Amino acid sequence: MQKPASYRPSMSRRWWLQHQHFVLYMLREATVVPLVFFAGCMIAGLWALNSGAEAWVSWQAFMANPLVILINLLTLAASLFHAATFFPLMPRVMPIRIGAKTLPVNAIVGGMWAVVAIIAIALVAYFIWRA
Amino acid sequence: MMKHHIAKDEPLWWALFSAGGICFAMLVPAAILVFGLLMPMGIIPASAFDYESLRGLGLGWPGLIFAGGVIALPAFHALHRIRHSCADLMLGKESVNKVWAYGLASLMSLMAVGVVLVNLF
Repeated sequence: MQKPASYRPSMSRRWWLQHQHFVLYMLREATVVPLVFFAGCMIAGLWALNSGAEAWVSWQAFMANPLVILINLLTLAASLFHAATFFPLMPRVMPIRIGAKTLPVNAIVGGMWAVVAIIAIALVAYFIWRA
Repeated sequence: MMKHHIAKDEPLWWALFSAGGICFAMLVPAAILVFGLLMPMGIIPASAFDYESLRGLGLGWPGLIFAGGVIALPAFHALHRIRHSCADLMLGKESVNKVWAYGLASLMSLMAVGVVLVNLF
């Protein structure tokens, strides 16, 4: 039997530049690029801890490189942008019901931001307390 | 009748992507703030990051949570998105992209979790 010739619509690689929403979509997809860099930094940190005091100090020096700080500032912005696009989706995909009432979207989104803030404040406070 | 191809492994990748997305939004900002900004900029004094005491923490149980929540799961989240972005931009072959994307995420996870586990046990 002969295979039917399939129809393949031609599509440009720049399709996402044609609409503001597509650009925003691609920008959100791109937030993971600095995340991979940060994860790599953290792996190096754990390995430095494993190697010894000297490796730890040189890892700290690497993290203090102005370019690395700049990329990590970008990573922080990327993670917050990811959160801002992700949190409003959660209560729509998985509505939380208490009895017959559905929790309002804003309450859940606010709650999720509160968790982000609490974890950040707790970690910063812990390290300030250690100092 | 059309035969549908069912990828049995997709639920696993999606679960890792999803869990990693929550970690990326909730745990990663705190980690970047402390280790990417406040430590290197000297805003939190260096004595907080003293090697001797941080080694036990980083390569102990808190380190295991860190390796899983800040490194391994976000790595799977990131590489899943990169795989799909490659498809969006028609780059490479999907079957090949899958291998390097999840392969790299697995390697990163193994390097992070492994170094902690070796010290824990």
